[in-house]
Amino acid sequence: MAVYLARRLAFAVVTILAASVVSFLLVHASGGSPGAITAGAGATPAQVAAENHRLGWDQPLVTQYLTWLGHAASGNLGVSLIDGHNIWSDLTARLPVTASIALFATLLSGIFGVLIGVAAAVRGGLADRTVTVGSGVALSLPQFWIGILLVYLIAIKAHLLPATGYVAFSASPSQYLQSLALPVITLAITGTAIIARTTRTGMVSALRQEHIRTLQALGTPPWRIRYVHALRFAAAPVVSVLGIQFIALFGGSVVIEQLFALPGLGQAAQNAIGNNDFPAVQGVVVIATVVVVITNLVLDLALGALDPRVRTA
Amino acid sequence: MRAPRALRTAGGALSAAWLVFLLLASVTASWWLPYQADAQDPAHALAGPSASHWLGTDDLGRDVLSRIAAGSWISVGPALLAVIVAFGAGIPLALLAAEHGRWVERGSSRFAELLLALPSIVILLAFVGAVGVHPWAIMTVLGVLLSAPVYRIFLGQAQSLRTRLYVDAARVNGVSSLRVNLRHVLPAMATTIAVQAAQLFAISVLIEAGLAFMGFGPSLPSPSWGGLIAAASQHVYDDPWLMVPTGAVLALTVIAANGLADAVAGGGREAEPAVRRTRGRAAVPAAPAAGGPIDGMLLDVRDLTVAVADGPALVTGVSFALPPGTVLGLVGESGCGKTMTARALPGLLPEGVEVTGGSVWFAGRDLAGLPDKDLRAVRGREIAVISQEPMVALDPMFSVGYQLTQPIRRFRGVGRAEARRIAEQLLREVGITGARRMLRSYPHQLSGGMAQRVCIALALTGSPKLLIADEPTTALDVTVQAEILSLLRALVRTTGLSVIIVSHDPGVVADLCDEVAVMYAGQVVESGTVAEVLGSPSHPYTAALLAANPHVAEGLPVPERLASIPGTVPAPPDWPTGCRFASRCSLATAECAAPVPVTPAHAGGPVVAGPVVAGPVVGGTVVGGTVRCVHPLSSPAPLPVPHHAEPGVSS
Repeated sequence: MAVYLARRLAFAVVTILAASVVSFLLVHASGGSPGAITAGAGATPAQVAAENHRLGWDQPLVTQYLTWLGHAASGNLGVSLIDGHNIWSDLTARLPVTASIALFATLLSGIFGVLIGVAAAVRGGLADRTVTVGSGVALSLPQFWIGILLVYLIAIKAHLLPATGYVAFSASPSQYLQSLALPVITLAITGTAIIARTTRTGMVSALRQEHIRTLQALGTPPWRIRYVHALRFAAAPVVSVLGIQFIALFGGSVVIEQLFALPGLGQAAQNAIGNNDFPAVQGVVVIATVVVVITNLVLDLALGALDPRVRTA
Repeated sequence: MRAPRALRTAGGALSAAWLVFLLLASVTASWWLPYQADAQDPAHALAGPSASHWLGTDDLGRDVLSRIAAGSWISVGPALLAVIVAFGAGIPLALLAAEHGRWVERGSSRFAELLLALPSIVILLAFVGAVGVHPWAIMTVLGVLLSAPVYRIFLGQAQSLRTRLYVDAARVNGVSSLRVNLRHVLPAMATTIAVQAAQLFAISVLIEAGLAFMGFGPSLPSPSWGGLIAAASQHVYDDPWLMVPTGAVLALTVIAANGLADAVAGGGREAEPAVRRTRGRAAVPAAPAAGGPIDGMLLDVRDLTVAVADGPALVTGVSFALPPGTVLGLVGESGCGKTMTARALPGLLPEGVEVTGGSVWFAGRDLAGLPDKDLRAVRGREIAVISQEPMVALDPMFSVGYQLTQPIRRFRGVGRAEARRIAEQLLREVGITGARRMLRSYPHQLSGGMAQRVCIALALTGSPKLLIADEPTTALDVTVQAEILSLLRALVRTTGLSVIIVSHDPGVVADLCDEVAVMYAGQVVESGTVAEVLGSPSHPYTAALLAANPHVAEGLPVPERLASIPGTVPAPPDWPTGCRFASRCSLATAECAAPVPVTPAHAGGPVVAGPVVAGPVVGGTVVGGTVRCVHPLSSPAPLPVPHHAEPGVSS
């Protein structure tokens, strides 16, 4: 177990380093330079060169990368070229917004997806077909389209929830929840569809396992066969997909945060890219990768706890 | 070929039709479009659908239909490119890794793992930030990121394909590896490639639309669908309709791609159906046999018929009886209905197969007519079953201890600690030393023999009167087989349990059983004590089965007639009305085509009348039993009987 954990941790570090190299190279391959941005439009080439020199852009790539890495390791991701804000504190301030959306959406997807998927697998027939078709349609609609539809129906027509904006939990817990409701529901619709499908497939195949026949041969009550044994057997893929969902939601939040005007990581990414804010781009990539890597680690541990074949292998 | 078959389903055909239509429409758009995509008409801005503008107009009075059609290629084409790149990189890499073994495989798999662990959307955005908005370049990068999952899927496939015999044979014959891949490996993966390509295409279309929605799509005047939706979202307050046409076209395209994937994956069949809800048995079991059970028998199966619902019968008119404390062997080749017969007794038939006639008298009750709820009370408590495959018969998610104590508590109404004590006791009874440690073990940690011992202990938790063992040793090593058989023998001796053993091996039956029923093509062709039946078989099938069996007891010469039986057991729909063995029988004559008479299975049973016909027996006049051969082996060659079988042990 310790060896396994050490290997996973090493791989996590390699992944984060790889992401930082990729983003570093992308920034440098762009052909632009940070000096051109900080010096502003209309600056002379000499002024741009001076700015680049001040920012260290004229040093060898390896030196620049190692300098950046040294700073990043101590939590310093540099300052924004646009407004001079500290990137680390900006991104960590935004993290709760995106994390809230992703967590709540994953939670809702998990609860409803498992309920719906189990119902489809156990009831079969019309219920099963409805779930299959319904989830197929939900998965075919772009999330931003579903989001706009919800804004139209719930915010504009019914005035039930605010259409856009974000209120911090510390400011007002109830308004915090209201401001998150629409984006979370939007993301959870797709998530529920995916989890329902995974659960349904898992349950159907679990109920056909030989060990289920052993349980039937012992006269085990059907509820115990379904909800203790089959559900447990189907749980591992569902948990895996939930983890992948959480990661996808972090990435997908870029679109949703724009749609609902939420000050999260996705918005930061969009701003950084739109403004050619090089250090901010690097910072966003690294933070996003850290989130993915941590999620994968937690997922590995969860699967180990769930499946004795993994745990005791 | 798969593709045309996939198109025969409604979903597949519609999906393909939509995609083809979309492709044609996008290519030919400039010829038929009623308006230029950017022709403005401010007087008719934000108008709903009308005769002149079928899908309405946008905020500058531009025709929505024309804009969707003009934007279809830039919305779909780059997604197509991403799929091509993903497969172009992922599949060759998978083939290489599968071919060149560990080190190449390790390197490329680590790389794929790394790609998978990167946040792809954010990387994609960083790329946009670096090189600017170039849809084709962006989707190429997406293709590279997607090549990791493609590689993952096809590495597994390619590895298993390469171990297949025909691929091996081609390689041994000196066919170059490129040709092996092109001729044998790739075609075998074609279906998976088609399915995955369609699904990845759907994902790519959605991702591209998302990027365009954020403003990272094609620059403004050329309308991509994501961009059109973004523009429409600005007018969700004053013209919500504008959202609908583009959203619908986008959704239809994704649905069509997924629909095509489903159709190809199903090969034209429907997706795996969910488990049907267990309804009770058919209220009226067909043709109940006349009379009650024979006295003194624990089990009396009378004229049992098992059939696929709305399909052919799998077992017809099978009868046998079992006194308490005896061991009965059901013997015959695979496909003779032995397992179906055995599983029918406690009502454990697979989905879609049911008892359509006859009775199963057990301890004074006819189980054949009982609803599932009542049968559940019989299972485990009165009749227990041991599986053919011990390695998969235990739930891999739960410890042996949990799986044993659970039924013990239910059957015996004891507490947790007491159940654990009983479980240890049972494990010791089935010959497991270190019972306490075994309780903490998980099924994947057990060997086949150990797993089968645990399964036997599990079957004993309800102290059943009858144990059904379906090929209990087939999946085990030869040495372990003997141990399990002697364990079963010991259990019969010490507990007075009755056992039905299903086996294709007359040696096992001779070794263990008091009585035997030989089954062929869904019928019992001969039954009686082991000494009678195996010692002097009267049915040619029994003789042939014995002659083909190399398991001869020690000290006896291997019979000269050791030979395989020509041909195979006919499938249920092909059963003739006459003797079902005739086509493979060396003694068959013209008489054998006539319907075969039956005799009662056991002395004391009802007298036989009338012929047995294939399929469910109609009416109450026929009482099934043994389908006697019209010219039995009158003076059978003295075939060796293993010395374990002691004549006269049975009732």
